Amino acid sequence: MLFRSIASRLSLWVLAGSLVVLAIAGGLLFYLVSGEILRQAHGEATALAGEAGARIEQRLARVADTSRTLATAMATRSGDAEALLRDALARNTDLSGLAAAFVPAADNPPESPFVNRQDDGSLGWRDMRKDPKPYWEANWFRVGLHCAQGCWQRHFHSLSRRRELVNYSAVIQRDGQAIGLINADVSLDWLNLILGELRKPPGAYAFVLDEGGAYLAHDNPAMVGQRGDPALLRALAQPGTARVRLAIAQNPQAGGKPVWIYLFPVEGTHWSFGLAMPEAMIYAGVRQAFMRVLLLGLLALLAVAAITLLATRRTLAPLGTLATRAEQVARGALAFELPRARFPDEVGRLTHAFDRMRRELALHIAELTRNAKEQQRLASELDIAHQIQTALLPGEHYIDARCENFELRALLRPARAVGGDLYSYFMLGERRFCVMVGDVSDKGIPAALFMARTITLAKALAPRARSPQHLLAMLNLELCRHNENCMFVSLSCGMLDTSTGELVMSSAGHEPPVLCDADGARLLELETGAALGLDEDARYPARTLWLQPGQTLMLYTDGITEASDTDGQMFGVERLLACLRQAASCASAELADGLLAEVDRFAAGAAQADDITVLALNWHHALADGNAHMLDLTIEASMDEVFATLERCEASLRAQGVLPAVREDIRLVLEELMVNMVEHGRDDGLQHRIGLHLRRVEDAVVVELHHDGRPFDPLQAPAPNLTGDLADADVVGGLGIHLVRAMASELSYSHDEQGNHLLLRFLHPAPAESGHDIQPEH
Amino acid sequence: MTFSLNTESESPARTTLHLHGRLDAQTFNDFDRAMLDVLPRVAEGGTVVLDLSALEYISSAGLRSIAMVRKSMRARGGNTLLLNPQPQVRKVFDIVKAVPLHEVFANATELDQYLDHMQRQITGAGPAGHA
Repeated sequence: MLFRSIASRLSLWVLAGSLVVLAIAGGLLFYLVSGEILRQAHGEATALAGEAGARIEQRLARVADTSRTLATAMATRSGDAEALLRDALARNTDLSGLAAAFVPAADNPPESPFVNRQDDGSLGWRDMRKDPKPYWEANWFRVGLHCAQGCWQRHFHSLSRRRELVNYSAVIQRDGQAIGLINADVSLDWLNLILGELRKPPGAYAFVLDEGGAYLAHDNPAMVGQRGDPALLRALAQPGTARVRLAIAQNPQAGGKPVWIYLFPVEGTHWSFGLAMPEAMIYAGVRQAFMRVLLLGLLALLAVAAITLLATRRTLAPLGTLATRAEQVARGALAFELPRARFPDEVGRLTHAFDRMRRELALHIAELTRNAKEQQRLASELDIAHQIQTALLPGEHYIDARCENFELRALLRPARAVGGDLYSYFMLGERRFCVMVGDVSDKGIPAALFMARTITLAKALAPRARSPQHLLAMLNLELCRHNENCMFVSLSCGMLDTSTGELVMSSAGHEPPVLCDADGARLLELETGAALGLDEDARYPARTLWLQPGQTLMLYTDGITEASDTDGQMFGVERLLACLRQAASCASAELADGLLAEVDRFAAGAAQADDITVLALNWHHALADGNAHMLDLTIEASMDEVFATLERCEASLRAQGVLPAVREDIRLVLEELMVNMVEHGRDDGLQHRIGLHLRRVEDAVVVELHHDGRPFDPLQAPAPNLTGDLADADVVGGLGIHLVRAMASELSYSHDEQGNHLLLRFLHPAPAESGHDIQPEH
Repeated sequence: MTFSLNTESESPARTTLHLHGRLDAQTFNDFDRAMLDVLPRVAEGGTVVLDLSALEYISSAGLRSIAMVRKSMRARGGNTLLLNPQPQVRKVFDIVKAVPLHEVFANATELDQYLDHMQRQITGAGPAGHA
């Protein structure tokens, strides 16, 4: 929270920056000042050490003086030795004991008195001549005799007096001969006392080092007798060294901190006086002063930071409000109060700009909302369009439920929500199954509408169509109407006889179908007409083939062959055929799904560019029973076609075991009627077509005839005038119709906009009754 | 070819024509053309015998052609006789009452007897009823 405000960050930065500057400047100043302080401290400490050393010197000199005076006096008054010693000891409290030790000789006093100060202050006495150990053989005595000017001896521990002592020896001379020594004992306690009495700065301590480098006296009694620090001893070894710095003080009381030691050689001895000053103590004053300054500086900086904080806060307060408002804007709220811009500075300009932005934003959002609603509406409409288009397509799977003769699988996958591909299938009558696959030019909504138009028209027109080519022709005419945009649709249409497997295919500029069976897959070469919707006069040829059990007809759109992979390579017909050849079985679902999966694998990663449709029609087997259907044909109304058809009828009827007499009757009736149709049709100069449907029911053969020519009801034709001899009549007419009426067991006629429809029935006896012709009229 | 025509024992007085196959709307033109050749060679008052034993089938177009032949022969004082029509042809003839029954003969013997009878009438009693 603290760092989210510019003001607090700014003041913190100011504080931190100033602190750094202050610390650096303070440190530099401290460094400079501390050198000076050290020099000053050295001077003071050296002076102090000199003063203290001089005082010790003075006290020691008094001891030496007393000793030498006694020695001089003793040379003449050796008899009063004890008295002199007592007197001198009484007067000089520095002394702990005095001895007059004579060299044992004839003319020397017989006793060597030793007077010492007891612990209770009284003076003790003894004759050293009576000591069990002869003193004249002791080392101190011999050394003392050679010390003509008097000298300080090595300190020693007196067992009798239980203390450390040091003595000064002065030679007693008589006639230039050393006859003895005055030996003055000084207690080291005394020396320590002197050190303690010295005026020292607090924390400092003093010591005396003997000639061997051991502490003779020390403010810390525990140090007495120990050897001095090697660094200290090295400094001592170099004459004239006044001070030395020990990085770690030897004295445990100094706590291991660095100390400065100021040395002063004690005159008249080989001792050195030392004053130790802890370094921290030297700098303590200046450090304290600096700490105060720093503290003050810190307080000042805190104050500056606080002022900066307040000033920045106050200056940037509108910014905070703007930030809050901007967050509101982000949440979509645009109605709010803005802070008043007090100055035309950056904040003021920002406030104005913000206000303007908010107004503009509100307008934009309103527009965007409108657009989004519009988009949403379009998307929803597109979604509905997709559903409607999907509803136009029959299911993906169809099994001929009545006789299970065939199975169909169709898949359509639009590239966008709606597309221009189509497929459809439906039954026409009882046994014709119509199937189609098409592809509208272009994509998207126009294509989808055109597709809807095509599929709806195809369904509406199909019942009138006798053949796929007829259906294509009718569809083409319809689609050419008002097709200013020149949209077109390629369409492949097939009509399957669901009983026999006879398939008539016709194509309007569509991809060639593929026929798959155990031998592999091959393209079905079809002569195709123009795509639907372009040329009103287009004609569509047809091809008839007989599906064998297990064969599958594949219809597809160019979405399959033109599917591209990421490198822009197309799937192509070769891959299509290869894929179908590799299929394990010719089951329609397997082929269609497998093909689509293969295309997906091929185009993995690439966007689907075109709608994809695939339809597989698998023929299982022909209808086993020979009942019912025999022929279902649509022919051109021409003599040649009529007679070719008569031959086919004959063959079918014979195959069905229809009796020759009935066969002949049917042939005659059909010939009369169809020839009539051909001749009547010639009147208007149009090309007409004849549809023929022949089937056998239980006790009869039923024939349906359709003709799209002008209405003609044979039932209404006048009966010919039969005189018994045709040659009597001038003009012979109406015979054919008369024969028809006579031979057909039943005849009915109807007419609608599609033309004439005739339904005829020829009684046919059950096989058991065969052998007798039925002659309905005689 | 579903129809063919053979001419036998051609003489100005009597010509026998054998019809084979089907005489229908597709073939009657062939028959008509052939008859245009044959009829002029038949003498006035001659006889044309149409042997129908091999004619499987006839339709109204064929009926018209046969009627034309008979008309043409009658105009020239001749006769047209039909020999041995098969069931379908006979049935068609019956339905439309195409020819008088006395001009249809079941076999060659009947025809010969009839022709002999006719011959006797001509030589004996002179031509009667035939101008």
